[in-house]
Amino acid sequence: MKSKEKPMIEESADGMTRRRLLSWLSGFGLFGSFIITVFSNLIFIKPRATYGQPNRFSIGKPEDFPPGARVSLDERRVCIVRDGDKIAAISTTCTHLGCIVSVSETGFACPCHGSRYDQDGNVTGGPAPRALPWYQARLAPNGEIEVDKDTEIEAGSYLRV
Amino acid sequence: MSTQTSSPWKSLIGLPENIWRSIFRNPLPSSDLGRVSTSFTNFFLHLHPVKVHRHSLKATFTLGLGLVSFFLFFILVVTGILLMFYYVPSTSQAYDRMLDLRGTVAFGIFLRNMHRWAAHGMVAAVFLHMCRVFLTGSYKPPREFNWVLGVFLLLVTLFMSFTGYLLPWDQLAFWAITVGTSIASYAPLVGKQMKFILLGDTTVGQEALLRFYVLHVAVLPALMGLLIAIHFWRIRKDGGLSRPEEEDALPPDNPTQVEVLQGPAVVMATSPAAAAAAAPLIPKRHYGIQGLVRGPFTKIGNVPDRSVFAWPNLFMAELVVFLVTVSGVLLVSLFFNAPLEEPVNVMHPPNPAKAPWYFLGLQEQVSYSAFWGGVGIPTIEVLLLLLAPYFDRKIAGVGRWFARERLLANFLFLTFVIVNVVLIVIGTFFRGPNWEFVSPW
Repeated sequence: MKSKEKPMIEESADGMTRRRLLSWLSGFGLFGSFIITVFSNLIFIKPRATYGQPNRFSIGKPEDFPPGARVSLDERRVCIVRDGDKIAAISTTCTHLGCIVSVSETGFACPCHGSRYDQDGNVTGGPAPRALPWYQARLAPNGEIEVDKDTEIEAGSYLRV
Repeated sequence: MSTQTSSPWKSLIGLPENIWRSIFRNPLPSSDLGRVSTSFTNFFLHLHPVKVHRHSLKATFTLGLGLVSFFLFFILVVTGILLMFYYVPSTSQAYDRMLDLRGTVAFGIFLRNMHRWAAHGMVAAVFLHMCRVFLTGSYKPPREFNWVLGVFLLLVTLFMSFTGYLLPWDQLAFWAITVGTSIASYAPLVGKQMKFILLGDTTVGQEALLRFYVLHVAVLPALMGLLIAIHFWRIRKDGGLSRPEEEDALPPDNPTQVEVLQGPAVVMATSPAAAAAAAPLIPKRHYGIQGLVRGPFTKIGNVPDRSVFAWPNLFMAELVVFLVTVSGVLLVSLFFNAPLEEPVNVMHPPNPAKAPWYFLGLQEQVSYSAFWGGVGIPTIEVLLLLLAPYFDRKIAGVGRWFARERLLANFLFLTFVIVNVVLIVIGTFFRGPNWEFVSPW
């Protein structure tokens, strides 16, 4: 870069003029601002709080579910399964495209695209790509069962009551 | 006029005429120059060329499908804005407002019918327009980029329709969007995030309804308007509609000179007196800003060719297409009501849960594999459509239907069309509960 007594654009050794450098810098600034704008808009439209169903909720006392019960809580989109003194919460959201599966003789069946699952939620037919996830269930201090849909657990791990 | 007299009385007498002339600079054209001026100085007409090639006006060549698509969009904007006066994007009110459109709002059901049927029609018209452009080889250079814009317009049309689908908040809406957004979540890497941002929540609910509403009434129409503007502008800049080379080689059928000297008004003349006072025009010269820019433009002036004046030839053709489109939508809306199912019941998906007909091909694909049917294959199809003009660059058979030189390209394209139509037919008529195969008979 030459001092200011030279008004003409003069090339430095590597071919970089003041004008060129400034163009690069402003171009970089403009492009950078554009990228930042895009990202801040993406951050803006991704909600930090949701207003729908909470993902952690209480479903009542263990006595509400007699042994052998398979109760589908459609609004919560989980099925509460009790086998003896073991309780589990299995998702009823079809892993294919998000329809609610219904409890059937052999396990679960999806009305949308015909996916079928066994009693433990393993895929037995149809286009579903994965087994139905199991959610963590635990006993809250007040004696009620609390299901946490944010925590998936291994299929076959029950809560003992 | 005001320069000739300052008498208030005369101004008053001349008022209607002066106002009229301040709005419309030209009288109804009776000469060629008048026709040029009219096209050039009217805001609504100036996006047309002054002269248009005879071939572009052939109804059997264009089938008017581009115009039909645009006019359907116009109808959708008008009826959509009217419906916005009564619609509330809230899960507790949206469905009731649908019932109100049926029961209490004057013309409510009719407007909803028009909006719904025009939307279906627009999807069909845009798709058929794409078929026309492909099968006549009109996407070839220099029109490659306009084809690309057209593919994006098809995608925006589909997305518009998809977002509008949720708004009645009935069973059909809820489950179609549940299925549709789950398809989006199969996209690699960003799928889950995309679904969450689109719905504003993990499941379809109030946030999703609001988001889809904003997309449907503001974001997408603005995007669509912008794309349409560029699409139209590019038609002009790419030299009008495509036509076979032979057309330009044919002997001109209007060898006579444009009657410049007899013209009643030059472009900016504000009164007959001013026109008469204007210097006589030189016949050999080209007038207008088009002379200043280079490129494949429609020629104006006295160049002998097979073009005709846009006024009245092109405008009459457009008017006819507009009237046919509007009356078609009106007629269908008179006799068929837009469907409205039960209000949303989150617990009980209808069985089978079906998307609108134009997505049933996709839904049929999805029933085999969610990733490949819903994301993989559609992405490949869109990419192939976008890249088609950059691979198929030989200028042969342009401007003719099913040109022999384009046998392979047309064959491949028709295969793509037929496969998709067959999938849609299967999805529509041959799928029953649990998406099992049923016979419609």
